Amino acid sequence: MSEFLAMSGYGKYLWPSFAIGFGIVALNLVLALRALSSAKQQAKRRLEMSP
Amino acid sequence: MNWTWFHRFGSAPYMYGFARRWAPWFGGVALLLMLIALYGGLVLAPPDYQQKDAYRIVYVHAPSATLSLMIYSTMAVAAAVGLIWRMKVAHAAAAACAPIGAWFTVATLATGSLWGKPMWGTYWAWDPRLTSELVLLFLYFGYMGLRAAIEDPQKADKASAVLAIVGIVNVPIIKYSVNWWNSLHQPATRLLGEADMDWSMVWPLLTMFLAFMLFFGAVLLIRLRAELLRRERGASWVREVLS
Amino acid sequence: MKTGAIAAARLVAARDLRLAFRKPSQLLQPLLFFMIVATLFPLTLTPELSRLRDAAPGVLWIGALLSSLLALEFLFRDDAVDGTLEQFALSGQSLTWMLFAKTCTHWLLTGVPLALSAPLAALALGVPVPALGAMIAALALGSFALSLVGAICAGLTLGARRGGVLLSLLTLPLSVPILVFGSDATRQAIAGAEIAGPMYMLGALTVLGVTLAPLAAAAAVRIGLE
Repeated sequence: MSEFLAMSGYGKYLWPSFAIGFGIVALNLVLALRALSSAKQQAKRRLEMSP
Repeated sequence: MNWTWFHRFGSAPYMYGFARRWAPWFGGVALLLMLIALYGGLVLAPPDYQQKDAYRIVYVHAPSATLSLMIYSTMAVAAAVGLIWRMKVAHAAAAACAPIGAWFTVATLATGSLWGKPMWGTYWAWDPRLTSELVLLFLYFGYMGLRAAIEDPQKADKASAVLAIVGIVNVPIIKYSVNWWNSLHQPATRLLGEADMDWSMVWPLLTMFLAFMLFFGAVLLIRLRAELLRRERGASWVREVLS
Repeated sequence: MKTGAIAAARLVAARDLRLAFRKPSQLLQPLLFFMIVATLFPLTLTPELSRLRDAAPGVLWIGALLSSLLALEFLFRDDAVDGTLEQFALSGQSLTWMLFAKTCTHWLLTGVPLALSAPLAALALGVPVPALGAMIAALALGSFALSLVGAICAGLTLGARRGGVLLSLLTLPLSVPILVFGSDATRQAIAGAEIAGPMYMLGALTVLGVTLAPLAAAAAVRIGLE
């Protein structure tokens, strides 16, 4: 296991890379869902205000 | 040939429904493929002769890079379709692409930087590929900045469309820079046919490419729904969809 | 219709030149800016000519780019404000040709004087005299390409708030190839080496700009005027 984490000495470059890469992937999903829910809220508000 | 299926894509309510239905599937399959690719790339694939385990960064760096270029191209094509055929849905798709593409460009630069340190001894180099990828990030920012600066939504759509199309010249420069100039960045590795890499290393990479593309599809469809809602104002289909 | 387009373009060019010479002080401003920027580098970097010589290509080209950006604001601004641009668009003549004419006069009024007076700054930065001819040629060609690219972005930012900074942000990434090859040509000239390679690339970029930029600029202006 510790060999796996060390990755022949390159672990300190490899794991942050994966963390950043997949972190951005996850972040994109979260941001997209937030954009959708805020767009829905705004649309609802607009519909309520119009006759 | 019956083109009705194509014209349906121009209808906002149809696209909204399509996006709502398919985004979870795209996302689910993407996640599954990512896990499989990660297992294949981090556990199953053997270390490289020269780079030992450092080469494994390719599994996150190369798909990000491909996606940063692919998303820009998609954005430019959608923008062109929107301009030529005056399709609001196309403009909405282009707008939805931009933030996703920018993030993947950041991911490419960051993961590339972390790979560069052990391999080349530096976190950054002003070589053609890295520089033009950085320029790509500036192009994404310019696109989003132009959109934000124009009040009228139709004008914003059209003006940013022109910008996206003009900026497309950068994409071939990035892709072929490693062939045209003596670059620090390594040239393209052949993956299929007469491959430069062992199959056990290649299949996780191909899987990860597919996973990232499907993931882009999922996130694009989610953001597309948001863009469509923002553009359709008081249309009746919006009322139905939100109740 | 072709004759009409070129005749209209010629009229636009003549008008622009006439208007520009009514306010000669405005013509000098981009030049002065360039000189000042070139002076700031020795003040902030180093007074040693040998080291300045290494930095000279960058200083000259960034100075040229910045002063071009400043001058770009005025490419369409006055005409957009007083409605002339709208008249051009509605005239039935080719807006593409008219904007190309405007871009050419812009270059004649900013790029060419800059290229011709660059030797002053270059000598102060330690550039050897034999390199000056090539430097002028590269700057003249490159500034034309910059004007073309800048015209597109100026058109795009017509309808935007705080267009000035946005104009620069949009133009900078698109000018990178021009800067890279232009400064390369200057660097080769300073070293006494062959400049044909980068000059050809600069020429190719300019040709690409001449064919496509006025079209894109016209599209952008029409969008902005809607």
